[in-house]
Amino acid sequence: MTPTPITRRGFIGTAAAAAVLPILAACGSSKSSGSASGGGAPSGVIKFWDMPWGVQSYSDASKKITDTYVPTGQHLKASWQGIQWNNFYQTFASAIASKTGPAVSTGGGFQAYQFADQGAIAMADNVVATMKTNGMYDDLLPGVLDGFKTKDGYVALPWQTDMRVLWYRKSVFDKAGVAVPTDWPSMLAAGKALKKIGVIGFCTGSGAGNFLANHWAVSMLINNGGGVWTPEGQVDVVTDRNLEAVEFMLELVSAGVIDPGAVGFTTDNMDSQWKGSKTGYGLYGAYLPQRLSDTSGDILVAGPLTGPHGDKTTLQFVNNIMMYKNTPDQASSEAFVLYYLQQLKTYWQQALVGGLPVFKSITQLPEFTKDANAVKIVAEYSPIAKTFAARGTASTANTAVLDGGQALNKFAQSILTGKTDAKTILNDFATGLKSSVK
Amino acid sequence: MTTVTGGLARARRGVSPGGHGARRRPSTLKSQTRRTYLGMLIPSVVLLVLINGYPLVYAAVQATHNGSLIQAGDFVGLDNFTTVLTSAAFWRAARFTLIFTLVGVFGSWAIGLALALLLRTNIPGRGLFKVLLLLPWVVPIVVSSTAWNWLVATADSPVPRLFEALGFARPLFLADPVLAGVLVCVFKVWISFPFMMMMAAGALASVDDTLYEAASIDGASRSQQFVQITLPLIARPTYISWILMTVFCVNDFPTIYLLTTGGPVDATTSLVVFAYRTVFQDFQTGPGVAVAFLMTVTLVFVSVTLYRQIRRAHVE
Repeated sequence: MTPTPITRRGFIGTAAAAAVLPILAACGSSKSSGSASGGGAPSGVIKFWDMPWGVQSYSDASKKITDTYVPTGQHLKASWQGIQWNNFYQTFASAIASKTGPAVSTGGGFQAYQFADQGAIAMADNVVATMKTNGMYDDLLPGVLDGFKTKDGYVALPWQTDMRVLWYRKSVFDKAGVAVPTDWPSMLAAGKALKKIGVIGFCTGSGAGNFLANHWAVSMLINNGGGVWTPEGQVDVVTDRNLEAVEFMLELVSAGVIDPGAVGFTTDNMDSQWKGSKTGYGLYGAYLPQRLSDTSGDILVAGPLTGPHGDKTTLQFVNNIMMYKNTPDQASSEAFVLYYLQQLKTYWQQALVGGLPVFKSITQLPEFTKDANAVKIVAEYSPIAKTFAARGTASTANTAVLDGGQALNKFAQSILTGKTDAKTILNDFATGLKSSVK
Repeated sequence: MTTVTGGLARARRGVSPGGHGARRRPSTLKSQTRRTYLGMLIPSVVLLVLINGYPLVYAAVQATHNGSLIQAGDFVGLDNFTTVLTSAAFWRAARFTLIFTLVGVFGSWAIGLALALLLRTNIPGRGLFKVLLLLPWVVPIVVSSTAWNWLVATADSPVPRLFEALGFARPLFLADPVLAGVLVCVFKVWISFPFMMMMAAGALASVDDTLYEAASIDGASRSQQFVQITLPLIARPTYISWILMTVFCVNDFPTIYLLTTGGPVDATTSLVVFAYRTVFQDFQTGPGVAVAFLMTVTLVFVSVTLYRQIRRAHVE
């Protein structure tokens, strides 16, 4: 029996279809996922989409806050929907494009700017105005709202901050007999001293899914009075201050203060370094001891560094809650957002989130003040923290391109591999960024 | 030697020394049967067109516009393709994709075929080995990539320690661009060889053992039998497995993304990773989809080329 011959035309068609499908599934078929995500919600309800900002109990609490919302007057009720971080941008984008998206959501740090740029965001000016009358505005920590003000209004409202904080392991510093760094020269000196006792002098990483080296690189630029943008929001990377900062970072690499394998470190790898006392110092988010389940009290917040020209700052991401134009009733969206912001203290009372509060009143809660590290971060870091938008204040859609884009990742990895000079690294960064931003 | 080779060729074709038997006449279907077949095919064809057609057209629109995932934007013709083709990053990704695909296809095929041949012999525990060898293919890639990361991530990981024990310096596989490329390719071979082994085992099972007996009687050595009988007789399924693995490799996103995210410094960025990052991290939908289209064209070209080999592989 002879096999059934395959015709050439038939085969080509099949091969083409097989080739096209997976590619387009990755790049062109996002509508379907959005439809699925957005379907099912009844009309006349404010759809609130929330991200998993903590463990499952966070989502449970968020849902409970939403479900127990009792609107006043003509305002609509709200429904809660959890959205996973995986491919969240595609989920939101496809839902918005198909008019099945939320009326209110949390999301990526710069998501509001992106969707505002595409005409999908409802400005929050009315909410801010109400906050000014009920005392909530004055209760905000410094700098957490300013970044959301654009020429069209407030694109979103802050609800927690993700601060980049310098941590140190006290026992390691004691063993090395060196003081905790306060500026760049002492950081280099401490790193060398730690290296002598076989400990990594500065822990960072840029492996799969790890953006801490990206954050560190930018924080060092702004710690030297530099940054990625002009105050007007244009790309401005190749500057003397940035050059000086990159040269210092390269010096840390060449001196062996940073692990030569750091470019491939995931957050799990970094956690292992911290847990095993193989590092003594590094940049991480708030609540590092809790993340590592370390109750020894040996991991402490170090003070922010002073740059060579006296600049003292760190990087923060202000996580926010945003409203969309696709809502059954804008006034109801605003009423729900106001209500939600008033319930935030629950998250810190129950220790459900990994970020810091944006309201002073929450930082004064006993559940918060019992953590000396958190108190120190609010006292020393919050007043000086800047966002990716530095040297400007307000972020734009371009800030989102910087945040997760290829240019910044390559920039940080080029520093950590230490095989290129500072000027070339900055020029490549500028070229890559300019090709991506509008 | 000529006699042996000629005998092997005849045996391969199933031709007796006396010559060809009667050729089969091509079967013909009655027109009614053809219509029935056509009618049964139509629902599937319509579904296939709908499933493939819409994303294809939508992607074509995106590739020729300067919009986002939400807005189509303005028509820009072939500007996105020009942007991509003049980008150094695209050609770096294309180069790595080529290396990754070549190593992935032929590395996994060579190992898979060797193991399939080995498992044809009567080694003890053959069934157990078959199951164990399938594990890399069966285990979810998220799990295996995490395991590999643990094996190589830091200087204190097991593999670098092993290298040190063997007298070498501890390599940093994820930190060095060249070693990261090697690691990703080896990982791809590791997760792919079971598939090739199954394909090869299936092909080898169809080879009649009497051919080898006849060849042995004619004085053919093991290597002659492999080259003159085994390889030609499994050529058709081999080419099919190459086509499939080529498609798998070119479109392989998780292997690279989970292990290196395309780094360090873009050293392991393949075209599909590049397309993904361009669309979803740099938010440049048009150029990203243009990359996907160029990949498609390349894949069709490669598939057609290999398909021609399949036709040539027919036993005459």
